[in-house]
Amino acid sequence: MITLNDYLLVSGLLFALGFAGVLLRRNIIIIFMGLELMLNAANLSLVAFSRFGIVNGLPNYNGQMLVFFIITVAAAEVAVGLAIIVALYRARQTTNVEDLNTLKF
Amino acid sequence: MNTALNLLHLLTPESILVETILVVLIAGLFKATAQKRNMLLSLTLIGGVTAGAMLIFQPHYGNIANGMAVLDPLTRFIKVVVLGLSLITAVYAVQSNIRQHFAEYLALILFTAIGMMLLAGTENLLMIFIALEMVSIPLYLLAGFLKQSSASAEASLKYFLVGGVSAAFLLFGISLIYGTTGATSLRDLAQSAPAVTRDPLFLAGLVMAIVGFGFKVAAVPFHLWAPDVYEGAPTSSAALIASGSKVAGFLILAKFLAIGLAGAAGSAASSQLQPGWLPLLAVIAAISIVVGNLAALSQSNVKRILAYSAIAQSGYMLLGLSATGGTALISVLFYVVVYALTALGAFGVVLHVEQRRGGSQLHHFEGLHQSAPGLALCMGVFMISLAGIPPLAGFFGKFYLFAGALGSASQGGNLGLLWVVAIAITFNAVSLYYYLIVLKHVFVTPATHPAEPVTRRNAATFVTGLLAVSVFAIGLYPGVLLDPLRAAAQAANRKPVTAAPVQPK
Amino acid sequence: MSPILFWIFSALMLGFGAATILNRNPVASALSLVVSFLGLAALFFGLDANFIGVIQILVYAGAVMVLFIFIIMLLDLKAEQRRQINIPALLGGVAIVVAFTAQLVTVIRSYKAGNEPFAAITPNLPDAHNIGMTLFANYNLPFQVIGVLILVASIGVVVLSQRELK
Repeated sequence: MITLNDYLLVSGLLFALGFAGVLLRRNIIIIFMGLELMLNAANLSLVAFSRFGIVNGLPNYNGQMLVFFIITVAAAEVAVGLAIIVALYRARQTTNVEDLNTLKF
Repeated sequence: MNTALNLLHLLTPESILVETILVVLIAGLFKATAQKRNMLLSLTLIGGVTAGAMLIFQPHYGNIANGMAVLDPLTRFIKVVVLGLSLITAVYAVQSNIRQHFAEYLALILFTAIGMMLLAGTENLLMIFIALEMVSIPLYLLAGFLKQSSASAEASLKYFLVGGVSAAFLLFGISLIYGTTGATSLRDLAQSAPAVTRDPLFLAGLVMAIVGFGFKVAAVPFHLWAPDVYEGAPTSSAALIASGSKVAGFLILAKFLAIGLAGAAGSAASSQLQPGWLPLLAVIAAISIVVGNLAALSQSNVKRILAYSAIAQSGYMLLGLSATGGTALISVLFYVVVYALTALGAFGVVLHVEQRRGGSQLHHFEGLHQSAPGLALCMGVFMISLAGIPPLAGFFGKFYLFAGALGSASQGGNLGLLWVVAIAITFNAVSLYYYLIVLKHVFVTPATHPAEPVTRRNAATFVTGLLAVSVFAIGLYPGVLLDPLRAAAQAANRKPVTAAPVQPK
Repeated sequence: MSPILFWIFSALMLGFGAATILNRNPVASALSLVVSFLGLAALFFGLDANFIGVIQILVYAGAVMVLFIFIIMLLDLKAEQRRQINIPALLGGVAIVVAFTAQLVTVIRSYKAGNEPFAAITPNLPDAHNIGMTLFANYNLPFQVIGVLILVASIGVVVLSQRELK
């Protein structure tokens, strides 16, 4: 029998995976993909909680609404983020965070 | 049908701002000249002032869909403040080196204003997230607006990556809080939170949400983006990041903790430590104060000094939040508003120096009192207020904050928060050093730069002067700001939630 | 959802998620990310969230991935050069991630309420209908704000990625 905890565990592992990508990788595009994994982990736990908090046979739709809006906002954020990466690439010809050292004290 | 009408009724100012944005964008399609920039600015200001007037004539209370959008006197006060800060930033923008896409720049400032107003006026976790994104996404773009400058692009990218990580943490935290309590509205959360305060999963969600907010308000150890962004972004954008987004961020953090999670506070008193958000906040506050003030000592760029000073100021504000336990927001809000006015003014002076002398290093400020005595005087007012020396507004802000911290602790029978207050006061003395270094360059060191043409008056310097006068006035008569805040907060507390005139269906 | 399917799709999602962050070639990473998203969509279907599952496939596996691939192609990114690895930074990062994961897993394991089985759901649930009703009644305001947010994104993207005519 699959329980809520199994879903939460998978979601937690996915979040940690995304976090590892953000912390350890040096390529901005990959860091960005790690961010998407983290957001998706939050979505998975939200949907699992929504299904778990069932009332009268109906899931708790508040959780699913959150996921709906997170997906939309994430799409807008991806568009903006990739535009920023393009602007940076035009100015610096790099997508490696270690090359970002104009601003240092 | 009814809901849609109520929505329009409650959010008229925001709707007016959206319309202003469309007008500005269309007007921006015509050929670019210097006059056109002034014309666009006037359009923006007309729209902004109309929205502000609408805010004042709105109904006193409102509540849609169980806290999705709320209106009460305190909310309205903060909305007016953030709108005013955004409009001042728009005035700065005309003097800054934004030459291309000026209409879009103004539009993004107004979008940020809408986001901050929505953020101030919501008590729902979902709306908090969306409004935060509505503030953050335009700010990422504003930070990277000078795309030919690699510093600006880099600042924008760093801001974006950190903002994205913080949003992910906030969301995962919200998902755990929602999962363990079943609530998305802060009022519902307040009802169900006390039952789960010992639940590790709930506490994990709480910690992750606070980490998310910690990034937004640039508290240590989530502060590393702030100096780079303040330095690299166009100065008018940095001014908005330092002032408006800070006010909105603190208001929503305060609301989240005070309304939603008052039952999960715990205790930070040194003798009776209990898990909850209070001890976490107290520790973050103490580290922010120490790290921010120490790091500011070794900076040579005034924007970076302001950034580290902002980190330390975040520490003071968090101390205020953890001290009052969320019961008395007034002293924190007073402090935040005064800080926002001061920081905005300081960035106005930096903007002037940058435009005239090509940089914001300390040596660019040398001899400012000869070339622009008025602005030098303003800078003096802002720095001394930030350092918290009487009789300026910053002093009263700190005074209320520390008094509140000691007062709330003594109610518990001991001076439990004394350790944080002691750290705060000690490092406030340290901070005096770097504020005075700035003033030394402004007033004492003779100018090594060639003399520049005498400053012509323009709107930005006028607004900077106005900010200095207001900081001075609030210092002399703290009641000017304190009384409306106090009245608004009392009115907001008296509000019977169920008797709100605009009812959710 | 049957346990076997759950574990298959979870493994798919986590495995390709790991491949995303381990690959040296950005295109391979992007394609692994698609598979990971599809695994997640399957988990959504397993949780009876059909509408969300479809949205997940359309928006993430469709639109977002196309954007990623498009940018990788536009910037013409090749597989990364091997660089001098900064050992202390790497070790520090790994330590943070391991500690974070261990903490998270411990906390989730200790959640007692989560060990109860899922309650039964109404058969043939009109999922899209219910979500639509909720969206336009209680969630009307966020829905409209999202419209403004997408306007922000489109304005910003045009401004940032336009080449200036000198």
